[in-house]
Amino acid sequence: MIGSILDSLAGRVTGADVVVKTDDTLSLAISPDGESRVMSSQFRTSHLRLLRDGRIGFASSTGADVAELIGHAMMSAASGEALPLLFPAAAPLPEVSTRTPQAAAADTSSLEYLARALGDRLLRSNRRVEVWAERSLGAIQVANSRAVWAGYDVTLAGVGAVVESIGAGWAPPLRVHCAAAALPTLLEVEALVAEVDQRLDPPIVALPGGFPREVPVCLAPRALGTFLGPLKAALTGRAALLGDSPLRGQLQQKVFNAAITLIDDPLASGRPGSRPIDDDGVPSRRLGLITAGYVTARLADLQVGASAGVPSTGHAWRFPGSSPRVGFTNLRMAPGAGSRSELLAGMGWGLWVADLEWGTGPNGISGAVTLKAPWAYLVQDGVVLGRLEGVVLSGNVFEALRGEVVVGNDAIWVSAQCLPSVVLRLTAYCNA
Amino acid sequence: MKERIQEAVRRSPAGYTELRLRRVWSTAVLVRDRRIETATRGSDIGGLVRCCSPGTGWGGASFSGTERLDTEARRAHELSLASRSRVPVLLAPIAVRQFDAPSPLPDDPRDFPLTEARQRAESLAEALFATDRRIGSARILLRDEVVETWLATSEGSWIHALRPEVSIAILAVAEEDGNVERALGSFAARGGWRSASAVEQLVGSISTRVVERLHAAPVRPGRYTVVLDPAAAGTLVHRAVTHVARPALPGVDPDVLPMGTRVGPEILTVGDDPTAEGLRASAVCDDEGTVARRTTIIQNGVVVGHLQSRETAAATAQAPTGHARAGSLRGAPHPRASNSYLAQGEGSLDDLLQGTGTGVYISDLLACEAAGDQVTLRAGSARMIRSGRLAEPVKGVQIGASLLSLLGRVDAVAADFEWDTASSRCEDGGAGVVTVTNGAPHLRIVDVGIGEGMP
Repeated sequence: MIGSILDSLAGRVTGADVVVKTDDTLSLAISPDGESRVMSSQFRTSHLRLLRDGRIGFASSTGADVAELIGHAMMSAASGEALPLLFPAAAPLPEVSTRTPQAAAADTSSLEYLARALGDRLLRSNRRVEVWAERSLGAIQVANSRAVWAGYDVTLAGVGAVVESIGAGWAPPLRVHCAAAALPTLLEVEALVAEVDQRLDPPIVALPGGFPREVPVCLAPRALGTFLGPLKAALTGRAALLGDSPLRGQLQQKVFNAAITLIDDPLASGRPGSRPIDDDGVPSRRLGLITAGYVTARLADLQVGASAGVPSTGHAWRFPGSSPRVGFTNLRMAPGAGSRSELLAGMGWGLWVADLEWGTGPNGISGAVTLKAPWAYLVQDGVVLGRLEGVVLSGNVFEALRGEVVVGNDAIWVSAQCLPSVVLRLTAYCNA
Repeated sequence: MKERIQEAVRRSPAGYTELRLRRVWSTAVLVRDRRIETATRGSDIGGLVRCCSPGTGWGGASFSGTERLDTEARRAHELSLASRSRVPVLLAPIAVRQFDAPSPLPDDPRDFPLTEARQRAESLAEALFATDRRIGSARILLRDEVVETWLATSEGSWIHALRPEVSIAILAVAEEDGNVERALGSFAARGGWRSASAVEQLVGSISTRVVERLHAAPVRPGRYTVVLDPAAAGTLVHRAVTHVARPALPGVDPDVLPMGTRVGPEILTVGDDPTAEGLRASAVCDDEGTVARRTTIIQNGVVVGHLQSRETAAATAQAPTGHARAGSLRGAPHPRASNSYLAQGEGSLDDLLQGTGTGVYISDLLACEAAGDQVTLRAGSARMIRSGRLAEPVKGVQIGASLLSLLGRVDAVAADFEWDTASSRCEDGGAGVVTVTNGAPHLRIVDVGIGEGMP
C-alpha cells in the first residue's frame, strides 16, 4: 500500500510521507459478579502527509481506498499551512526491543489466567473487584519520498483491576494496572496486589484543625505522573516552542530544583512508548529535557520544528482520526538517593499521596492546579496514620518543582513513565 | 450494504448477534492567530459485532473496513464461547424496529468546500482580533462531521441513520500589564453550515469575557447565594445527575443516585430526552436498537429513574430507555446521557436576582467534575450580585460540594428554559466520548461555599 501511494504521488508533490499502523488487540474482562467478556479489535490506519506548492496536506483513513486518501491529502494541501518542510533522509536506526513472542502469542486462556491470578489475590469480603487483561500486537511502517522505509512490530500486554471498597467510609474506585511489551509476570501481579492493600488497608482518620497553609507532600509514582501534566504540556511541541508555555525561551536556564532530571527515552527496552523511529521517519534517541533543574530540550516533530526553526527531536505521532501530533515516548525521572520510607520519615508531619485525580486548574497556562487526592494519607515521622477523605491539593506545578524537592530512589514503571516518589510542598485542604 | 450486514448477522451461529457499522466523514480546520495550521478532510469506517448465546458472556470483534463482516461475526461468537463466563448475559426485551434514514441530507456539510471552511475560520480570527487590541492570541477550530450508522440484530432490528453536525470552537487569549487571561466558547448544531449562520455573536461574547477577566478581582472566599445561567445549570445537571443516573456499574461509578432518594426540593425535576427535536444527540433509536424515550430521573426532588441499556435494564428489572450509546466507532454501547434537561420553574432571571442580596452569578463553566458524590465547578465568567443586580466581574470562582448538599440547596428555578448551543461532549473513561446537549433555565442555589480551597 505504501509503495503504491508514494509511486502515484511521484512528480505531483514536492515530498510525502506515509505511516501505516495495524493493531490486533485481544482483551478479557471479568466483572465482580463473574461475568466474562472477551473482545477482539483489529484495525489499520493509513496516514499520508504531502508537500505541494509549498503547502502541507494531511489525511488519514481506516479504509483501503488509496485514491480517496490521496484525494483528501491533496485537498488539504490546497488549504494547508505554508511551511518549508524537509522530509528526513534514510538513516541507521537504533536497536530497541518493542515486541516479545510470548505476548504476541497470548490467547484468551493466557489472559484469563493473568486476570484471575490478579482477581483471586485481590478479593476480600469487603471488596468488589473487576479485573482485565489485554494484549495487543501491532505493526508500524514508516516511509517517505526520500527513501525512508522502515517497519517494526510492537506488542503491549497488561493486566489491571478496579477495586471498590465496601463499607467503612466512601472511597472512589481504585484503579491499578501494569503494561509493557512482555506479558506481566506473577511478581508484577503481586506488586499490584501489594499496592492495593497498602492503599485500602489504612483506617480513615480525621484531621482536627485542618492543614497549615503549606504541607510537605510525598507524591507516589502514580500521583507524580498526574502532577507532571502541566510540565509535560509545557515541554511539548508548538506550545513549548511557539506558544504560551512558561518554559518558552527558557532553554539552558535553571528553572527547577537541581534534584529534577527528566529524560524522554524511546530506547527503553520493551516499554509502551519504545520505538526505533518516529512517525515522521526520524530515528529515535534519548533526550534530556530537564537536567539538574536546567531546561535542556523541548519536544518537536518535523512540522513544529520547521515552524520554530529547530530540528525535530523525533517525537512525531500519528493517531487514528487526528492530525500529526508531538508527544512523549517514555518519560523517566532520574532517581534520587532516599527510599520511600526515608522520604516519609524526613517529612515529619505531612501527606503521602498514592494517586491523584486530574482536573483543570484555575489557570492551566501558568501551571496552577487544583487536584483532588482521594488517596491521601496522613504521615507522622514516617508512620502512615490513616487515609484522609476529601483532600484537595492546590499549587503551581512549576513553582513546586522549583522549591524544596526531594526525589526518591523507588522509581517504577507506570505505563510509559518511570517515576520515583517525590516530596515537595503544596497547599492542602481537607473538605471532609 | 444493508444486505451484506443482514446476511452476516443471519449467518452468525450465536444466540444473539448485533452488528453495528459506522462511517464518519469529518473536516477539521484550525487557524492559530491569523495563520492556518490544519485543514483536513477524512473518512473512517468500522464497527463492532457483539454475540452471546445461552449461558455465555459477551464476545465482541471490532474492526475497520467492511470487507470481512462474516468473519468478524464468527470471531465474536467464538470469543463469546471462549469467555467461560460464570454469569450469562441477560438482555431486556425490546420491540423490533426497522428504520431507514431519509437521504440525501438537505444541508450536507460534505458539500461545503474546504477552502470556504478555511476562509470562514480566518475571517472569524480577524473579527476576534478586531474587537479589542488586548487580544493577542486566538485559536479557531471549525469541524463538521457526518455519521452514517447501520445496525442489525439477530432479533430483526434494522436501523440506518445519518447524523450531520457542525461546530466552531474559539479560544481567545488577552494580555495587559503582564496579566494573561483566556476565554473559550463554542457553537454546535445538528445539520450543515447553514445552521451556523449566527456565530459572529459568539466572537463578541468571547471577546467581552476575556477582556473582562483582565480586570476582574478575585472573588472573596465565603458562602454566597449562587445563580447559574441556563448553560451553567445545564452542565451541572448533566455532570452531577444524568451522567451518573444509571445502575451502579462495577468500576465505573458508585450508586450515587439510588432510586427513591430525595436529593432536592419539589422544584427540582431533571431528565434526559433523546427525542428532543433537532439536537445533536437526538436519535430515533439507540445503539442497541431500542426506541429512544424521554426519561425522568428526578421528579420533584426524588430519584425516580435511571438511564438504561438492555443489559442494565435486565439486571435491575427495569425497562430499557434507549440510552445505550457507543462512545467510539468500534466501541460497545453503554447507558449514557444524551440531551439532559432541568425542567423549567417559574419567574425570570430578574426575579431570581431580586431575591438575592449578595451573591455570585455564573455565566460560563470552565469545568464541572464529579467524583462519587462530590461535585466541583469552576467558573470561566462570573459577576457579583449586589442588591439584586448584576455588578462587577470576579474571577477564581470555584465551588466544591457534595451532590446532595448542592441539589438540596436549590431554592429557585426560573421559567426561561433553553437548550445550550455549545459543542458539549461527555467523556466516560473506557466508555468513550459522546456528543451531548444540555438544557436548563436559570437556577439559584443558596448558601454555597466559594473559594480556592472549596469548603
